[in-house]
Amino acid sequence: MFAYTVRRVFVGIIMLIAMSMVTFVLFFASPIDPAQFACGKNCSLEQRAQVRKGLGYDKPVWEQWKNFAVGVAKGRDYPEDKSLRKSAPNLVAHCAAPCLGYSNVNIATVTSEFKTRIPVSFSLAIMAFILWIVGGVGLGVIAALTKGSIIDRGLVGISLIFFAFPTFFVGLFLLKFLAIKWGFFPVPNYISIADGGVWNWMVNLVLPGLTLALFYMAGYVRMSRAFVLESMSEDYLRTARAKGLPGRKILFKHTMRAALTPLVTMAGLDLAGLLGGAIITERVFNYNGLGKLAVDSITVYDLPTIVGLVLLLGSFVIVANIVVDILYAFIDPRVRVG
Amino acid sequence: MASYRKKMLAVAAAASMSVALAACGGGSDNGSKSPGGSSDSAKGGTLYYYIFAALEHTDPQRTYVGRDITNWSRTVYRSLVTFPISDDAKVSTTPVPDLATDTGQSSNGAKTWKFTVKDGVKWEDGKPITCEDFKYGASRVFATDIITGGPNYIITYLDIPEDPKTHLPIYTGPYQSSPEGKAAFDKAITCDGNTITYNFKKPWADFPLAVASLHMMDPYRADKDQGDKSNYQIFSNGPYKLEGTWDKQKGGTLVRNPNYDPSTDSTDIRKALPDKITFDIGKTAEQITDQMIADSGQDKFAVTERRVPAAYYSQITGDIAKRAVTVTSPYTDYVVPNFKRMTNLQVRQALAASTDDTGWVTAGGGEKAYEESHDIVNPAVKGYQSDLFPAGAGDPEKSKQLLQQAGVQMPYPITFTYPSTATADKQAAALKAGWEKGGFKVTLNGVANQDAYYTDIQKPDQKADVIWAGWGADWPSAITVTAPLFDSRPNLTKNSNGQDYGAYDSDEFNALVDQAQNATDLDQQTQFLQQADQVLAKDVAYIPVDNAIFYFLHGSGVKNYMNTAASNGFPDLGPVGVK
Repeated sequence: MFAYTVRRVFVGIIMLIAMSMVTFVLFFASPIDPAQFACGKNCSLEQRAQVRKGLGYDKPVWEQWKNFAVGVAKGRDYPEDKSLRKSAPNLVAHCAAPCLGYSNVNIATVTSEFKTRIPVSFSLAIMAFILWIVGGVGLGVIAALTKGSIIDRGLVGISLIFFAFPTFFVGLFLLKFLAIKWGFFPVPNYISIADGGVWNWMVNLVLPGLTLALFYMAGYVRMSRAFVLESMSEDYLRTARAKGLPGRKILFKHTMRAALTPLVTMAGLDLAGLLGGAIITERVFNYNGLGKLAVDSITVYDLPTIVGLVLLLGSFVIVANIVVDILYAFIDPRVRVG
Repeated sequence: MASYRKKMLAVAAAASMSVALAACGGGSDNGSKSPGGSSDSAKGGTLYYYIFAALEHTDPQRTYVGRDITNWSRTVYRSLVTFPISDDAKVSTTPVPDLATDTGQSSNGAKTWKFTVKDGVKWEDGKPITCEDFKYGASRVFATDIITGGPNYIITYLDIPEDPKTHLPIYTGPYQSSPEGKAAFDKAITCDGNTITYNFKKPWADFPLAVASLHMMDPYRADKDQGDKSNYQIFSNGPYKLEGTWDKQKGGTLVRNPNYDPSTDSTDIRKALPDKITFDIGKTAEQITDQMIADSGQDKFAVTERRVPAAYYSQITGDIAKRAVTVTSPYTDYVVPNFKRMTNLQVRQALAASTDDTGWVTAGGGEKAYEESHDIVNPAVKGYQSDLFPAGAGDPEKSKQLLQQAGVQMPYPITFTYPSTATADKQAAALKAGWEKGGFKVTLNGVANQDAYYTDIQKPDQKADVIWAGWGADWPSAITVTAPLFDSRPNLTKNSNGQDYGAYDSDEFNALVDQAQNATDLDQQTQFLQQADQVLAKDVAYIPVDNAIFYFLHGSGVKNYMNTAASNGFPDLGPVGVK
């Protein structure tokens, strides 16, 4: 098992290295010159060359990637220009290992930028997760227990409607009516628990969380309903009922346990995906999370941030896959030898 | 106008083709109506300023966006000279003394400029602002590898020899420079007590206009400079100072600066009425407009730089309309014929004759979004001529006659390249219809990858016959419009057309630009530039299609609301107050 885990981690690292290389190559294959992008108006070719040097984009791609890799392992100092570091040491920004680079757009190391963004995306993901699990599973179970009734049809129908609406529409709708027009909620503005306490953190997360949750919830209502109905038709439940077990015990101890197992796997993967940032929701509600950072950095050709994000988000997926693979290996020993 | 990045942002973000975010320079308040503004000089309260996108810089030498230049001018960064508050565009584009005792003394054929720094002006920590601070500020512009993105005209004017290898000045900024470079800089800018002298290698007749319009010549304290790390630092010498730090994603709050002495300033420049000004970053135009319409809570005391989106026009009625302002922005859109492909003058004249400016403006959203344009020089910029191009719906018959006289195949096939958006596609279709009525056969080439648009149209081998572009003056003089756009010498190289997208190359025009650049006074310079613009019109080097209109809402509790030429058409924080 240990060898298997090491092998999977090793493959994951190789994948991350390959992803960083591909990102570098794609970035420099783009027709956009990041130096021209950063240079001021009336920027002559000579000035642009100097800006390119200042940004470190004058070196061959492979060398830039090598420097990046060294930074990840050992850390780096910015700016790149060694003589400048000597003549003006107060200009130097140190980026400790694992250094994912220094963004000249954000004027900060990529890792420090991530430190401010991750709590936002995580908060949003967790709020959405709680809402959709409680709402989705709860309503799904109710629909299953009232199968064929108006309640069942109503819940399934409404969930379909929310599933069909795009996230940006639901977000803007909630923002415009629940916050701006009717004032039921404050116009969302992310406040950390440290800054505003749990209540303020939570209240400001309700609308963006709900926007995401409504989309996921729709799927979970239908899935929960289906799994519960499937479980309820199993022989062992008929036996339980024949034994005279109370309905509540049958539902919570036997039906739900069996029905929700596949949902837990699904929920875990969905949550992992959301941790990497919800681009549209963060944009609509102006939440400065990883999703918004991704859009912003692509818009302004901020290579260090783009590479860092690719690696971070890639890591989430790879780690999730490794965990799943390891779990499978526990469940099915044949995987270990495969 | 604007740095390359501003152009990119503008093109990428636009729901239209106007260079809405682009940088700096002269503005206009032609047609500005600000019914919300009443005369109320009460101090106090908090003003909120809603901004959509994060500011790229707050460093004075790197600031190059019109909105930011004016906001900082009125609050934290004072310059040697600046523009006063006025509804009259002529007044508000005429420099007045700010940190200097006068608007500058020129000599040596406008190659030497002297200013004397006022006594008693201080930084936010109470230390006096010195001549050396101004000199240090100017020196930072030369560090083009660190202090990026800002206006750098000083590099081409200051009398410093060039390095023959790099073709850049031998002085490379305060962080690292050769002793020869430093000596040359020390000779080019000298301090004698409170008097600073700038020595240029060529005349700079409108230098005070440049100083008032941009922050590149602002003072900077050497002990506060950390290069790139100072990008979001605001070290004030104005009536406000930054409370805490600037959060790139959220903004920041300005509070009163206790070391600001109003007696060294003028209420014609800064009334400094609110106790606090909070810059709130990140809301979309739709969200801001919704909040402005609702006009509740802090939104009553808010202004914004976001234009009202077209979808909201029908909601701006009654009392809400009293809080709405339309103002001619400093940004002009134009099309250029590609001189490598459209070589026949009569064909270009036919193109100009059949250009349906009215259709273009209507398709773009009408009078709240654009106005028809007669000159690539904006109406508020010195050198504007209202009779260069007739605008209107075009004259197809005249166009056909010209094409027949040219003896070319009809319909004459052309390709029009522009950055594609939903609105831009409609506007391009309106132009196409006009041109086709005039005897052209038009293929539209909407460029979907808008980030690459300007890179595309700079290619010398491009296949477009007609190309769209946008521009605005860096300071209210035509020298910052026609010269950078049509002087072939700095623009046309083997690998790029630079900003001369149509590859226009005229000795007559270039000679007039030289005369304008060597002029020793502003009126003389303007005269040459107007002649140069007439040459461009005669050659049909461009066809102006619109001046973008700013359509803003503000809260009901905002007093003395104005959009002036001095504020580049954005809300002017100089006079504004809150209830």
